[in-house]
Amino acid sequence: MKRIVASRCASQLLAPPLPRHALCPFAAAKNAQRNITPRSHRIQARYQSTAAIRDDAGPGAEVPDYAASHLPEASKRRKINYAPEQLPSPHPRAAASSAKLHALRARLSLPERFPLQTLARTLVHPSADPNPYFNNASLSILGRHLLGYYTSEYLICTYPRLPMEVLFAAVEAYIGPKALALVAKEWGIEAAKEPGGEIEPGLLQFKRIPTGEGLPGSLRRQVPWNWNVTTTHKITKTDEFGSANAPPSAHALQQTPVPSEEAAQSFVRALMGALHVHLGSPLVKRFFRDHFLGRHLDVSTLFDFRTPTRDLSRVCAREGFESPVARLISETGRLSRHPVFVVGVYSGKDKLGEGAGSSLDEARTRAAAAALKAWYLYRPIEVTVPSSTEGELDTSKWRPNLIDCGEVIV
Amino acid sequence: MSTCKTLLRICPKQRQPSPLPITQCRNESTTRRHKKLLALPEAPSYTLDRSSPTLIFNPPSSAPNVYHTPLKFLPKEDKRRQLYSNALQHSTTSALRHKASPITAPGTPLHTSSHLPPRPSSSLPTPVRAPYEKKYNLTDKEIAEIRTLRTQDPYTWTRAKLAEKFGCSQFFVGMVVKAKDRARELEKSHEEARRKWGARRREAREDRERRKALWGRDA
Repeated sequence: MKRIVASRCASQLLAPPLPRHALCPFAAAKNAQRNITPRSHRIQARYQSTAAIRDDAGPGAEVPDYAASHLPEASKRRKINYAPEQLPSPHPRAAASSAKLHALRARLSLPERFPLQTLARTLVHPSADPNPYFNNASLSILGRHLLGYYTSEYLICTYPRLPMEVLFAAVEAYIGPKALALVAKEWGIEAAKEPGGEIEPGLLQFKRIPTGEGLPGSLRRQVPWNWNVTTTHKITKTDEFGSANAPPSAHALQQTPVPSEEAAQSFVRALMGALHVHLGSPLVKRFFRDHFLGRHLDVSTLFDFRTPTRDLSRVCAREGFESPVARLISETGRLSRHPVFVVGVYSGKDKLGEGAGSSLDEARTRAAAAALKAWYLYRPIEVTVPSSTEGELDTSKWRPNLIDCGEVIV
Repeated sequence: MSTCKTLLRICPKQRQPSPLPITQCRNESTTRRHKKLLALPEAPSYTLDRSSPTLIFNPPSSAPNVYHTPLKFLPKEDKRRQLYSNALQHSTTSALRHKASPITAPGTPLHTSSHLPPRPSSSLPTPVRAPYEKKYNLTDKEIAEIRTLRTQDPYTWTRAKLAEKFGCSQFFVGMVVKAKDRARELEKSHEEARRKWGARRREAREDRERRKALWGRDA
């Protein structure tokens, strides 16, 4: 099997590479003023995702047509210093002197080598700045896939028998738009009232929806393309949360007013992408574990069984167990207004689940639901996620994960 | 108060002289009930038999945790199977050691854990509904007969009657043949009956449906 270099995965999302010839001495002196060691690979990595280098790039630097059409002055005539009010988003030069960005980097315990210019870029939503070299669209696409990969591999390896719908719900609970907006709020991200070049770069910048107007059409929930949207379609065609329709692309939201939740979500995703590009995957994995997997989610509350007794008898028939029998363990007040029955579901002599209810039917159904949850929420003792062997030559720690044959379909 | 006393003084009780000697009697309804019967012994887990500090674990009774996978649901290669069987063996051994006669006490030749008797099978609780075996007793000929009877006269041969006659379930009769006209009429009459319900009854039924939907969700 061929190894994939992880750093190459993001290369098509980044700015075009720098010219091979040496930087001019003026640029080197300028870098020395910023306390950066020149000709380091870290700087190269940084320049890849930070547009600040445009000032220092040699005359041979090519500018794509897209950027030229949107910012012709900045690319063709670099000598002219534009007033910050004329720029759609803060200039990358302003990031180094931003107290908010310094505080954010320290609060997230990010190392010093993570550049503030990139941190500032992750805070610019495409609705504020349509230029893909200055907004966070490309980074948020990378970060979205990283988040989806790490979350789903953790959930699938930890709960190998989880039904697909529950898996979708759990992924949404960990890295859905609401969860990411909450994470951004807990990190202390504040939003600017109106994006612009003159405002503080440490604020989240996006175009707000005017008061009294609804969601834009691309973000509104749409009618599914087909009445029968299958689970396979949800897995392969749409987003990681199993929606019926694919969400709009990050690049498609230029000049579209968006809700603050969408902007905060794109910031967190873009930060993950930027961390991956600058610090490498081991640090991103640690960051993900600390900030996302540390959040408590009770997966057992995500189930909704319609016919638990039928499902359970199908499970037992499929796995070759004796068919389940509901047995009355204890009861009180059968003839009173509030009786309580405790019923256990047994397969042979083994108790599979137990439930209490105010009628025999209720207790039986609850016991079957508890038994089904016990089946689906099985956790192996030791779990090694596939990404833990990424970039490691020693694969002796790898243990194959349990792969279940799937949920029961009645 | 004073009137009561005077009244009592005026009409004293006319007591029949009893042949038995008057003895003082205190029954259990008064003193003993209040003092002694309420002095219950402490729970065994709270009565410590040693002076060293121990951990008291006395959880309230509650439903089992769904994250504790039953032994039957564990895959074959899971380590917990071995752990569970070890724990079972240990508890059986310790139970046997406590009950052991002096001959089989530890240290004697008869004390050995190599061949343990099987775990005493405790009787299972009674089933909620009588368990039944699936019979699969109907042949193609009988199924065809069910079809003809139900199609010819669905008002006489209802599902219940057919199920009783052929010894199958009503659900099976419904699977084999459907009487659509009769089902539509029945649904219409049910709808008529439902329309006569008052607000309280209707709300009560709707609430019951909503509670029923929660059975499979918050268990």
